[in-house]
Amino acid sequence: MKEELVAALVKLERDEVLGMVTQRIEAGEDPLGILEDCRQGMTAVGDLLQQGDYFLAELLLSAEIFKGAVAILQPHLAKSHSSQLRAKVVLATLKGDIHDLGKNILATLLQAQGFEVHDLGVDVPPPLVLEKVKEIRPEFVGFSALITTAFASMKEAADLLQQAGLRNGLKLMIGGGVTTPIVKDYVGADFQTLDAMEGVNYCLNVVGGR
Amino acid sequence: MAQESMTTNERLWAAIRLEQPDRVPVVPLVTAEPAAHLAGMTLAEVAGSNQKAIEAYRKVLSKFGGWDSMHGGPITPLQQQVTNIYPMKMRIPGRDLPDGYMFQLVEEEFMKPEDYDRICEMGIDAFYYEDYLWRITDLTPDDVQREVTNVLTMWPEFDAELKKYDMRPLILASDFHPFFRLSLMRSMVAFTQDLYYNPEPVERTIKQITKELIPKNIAIAKGSGIDTCLFTDERASAFYYPLAVFERFWWPYTEEIVDAFWSEGIVTVFHLDTCWDKNLPYFKRLPRGSAVVGLDSTTDIFLAKQVLRDHLCIHGDVPASLLSLGKPEEVEAYCKRLIDEVGAGGGLILGTGCATPPDCKPENFRAMIETGKNYG
Repeated sequence: MKEELVAALVKLERDEVLGMVTQRIEAGEDPLGILEDCRQGMTAVGDLLQQGDYFLAELLLSAEIFKGAVAILQPHLAKSHSSQLRAKVVLATLKGDIHDLGKNILATLLQAQGFEVHDLGVDVPPPLVLEKVKEIRPEFVGFSALITTAFASMKEAADLLQQAGLRNGLKLMIGGGVTTPIVKDYVGADFQTLDAMEGVNYCLNVVGGR
Repeated sequence: MAQESMTTNERLWAAIRLEQPDRVPVVPLVTAEPAAHLAGMTLAEVAGSNQKAIEAYRKVLSKFGGWDSMHGGPITPLQQQVTNIYPMKMRIPGRDLPDGYMFQLVEEEFMKPEDYDRICEMGIDAFYYEDYLWRITDLTPDDVQREVTNVLTMWPEFDAELKKYDMRPLILASDFHPFFRLSLMRSMVAFTQDLYYNPEPVERTIKQITKELIPKNIAIAKGSGIDTCLFTDERASAFYYPLAVFERFWWPYTEEIVDAFWSEGIVTVFHLDTCWDKNLPYFKRLPRGSAVVGLDSTTDIFLAKQVLRDHLCIHGDVPASLLSLGKPEEVEAYCKRLIDEVGAGGGLILGTGCATPPDCKPENFRAMIETGKNYG
């Protein structure tokens, strides 16, 4: 069953994956075990992407299937789930921008890799990021942008974290269609990418691999 | 100033025809929003008024001295919606957003799976105006008519302003690839699921839209006397989709459209955002000189030159981040590299990667224009 579920997810067989997840949970299997199989499927999809066999579209579809599986498993997942989380990540599309496709993909992929994701949404005022970081003390903060007017908000948020003495304890990531190394330097970020999977790998490398 | 022996239009068309112009033509995409910013006006002012937008362009042209062709115009976000340029719900500065914000497109699943068949039955324009538009706007039919009329009546005033600088519009006919249009209407995730899990309705609908858009845009281009048609796609590249999807849902219709335009002497001006590196070789199949390939700086424009050299003109690609955050000398250096490498032997229109950003530093905009005029 385990191999079948992983294989179905890799082949993007949505109905089959959701059917198997339902069947296994109804049969009384450990939801964490089922979730782990789904994560293995997502990891395999990520590997195919890196090899150039899969594209962002397939990543997007696998992320949607994973979300569907998590929705089925969620009511059955015990508290123990949180003890296995790798790290906390705060994500936001900041003030001036409402584009969230890339951010949403990254959020799902990070969840699939066992990260605890706090997605603040879009058009987020920078002080809200500071509040959230103070509250949950994440290892990562990520900002996404599709228009250049969000750069100033990224810098404002980074500066707020710096002034509050919280910047050293976390890695700041930026991504999205208009971001470049110039923007990374301007914001003072640790990492920049146009590729959600690269973002996931960056987080995995920082926390100690996969 | 480089020695000029051509008019702006001769220079532009020499580049499009892959001949050697007297210098590289300079054609940044300047929509009303960066025009407002460069003119010292708010984005909300131009979002609500064609007159304010024309005023912004007037100031920008006066301040920077004009360039070789106008790409962009004083059209408001709502007018882009009611003329079916952007089939999206809009959030507009001064109405839904603070005055300094860029207008924003709201991507939701406004088109439902059953609408594929409706589009095939009704046609895309009828579907848009009789049904879909009312899902994405609070405007009344009278409002829509008024906005369409405003577009038509304000244009001569803008055109007269351009003529003072010997400038013509780069394009007047403009459309989205049916693939891109459907992705925006369905939303990216739902459209991708349709492509993979229920592709036949998508394919039928792309065929239908292709059939409609060809004669419509030929009529607009011919009627305007500007023998170009802007053709935009931001989502079909190998950044998003495998080549199998591209080959089935995008390329055959692109060839059909470009060939149909070309048979009428109309050049397709592609506006291709995201990274098209893996898709570039397909463009060599188009007739020589039949299209201009506009790139947004995420495609490797230097690779594009290698692939498309002496076959299609390339338009681009000063990055938005460089214009927003860089220094004038960095903009100048990048423009010189474009001119030297992509412009070698002709076939380059110097422009922005996608559009001039709405927070472009004026000194960087000037550096781009002046480098094109003086170094090109």
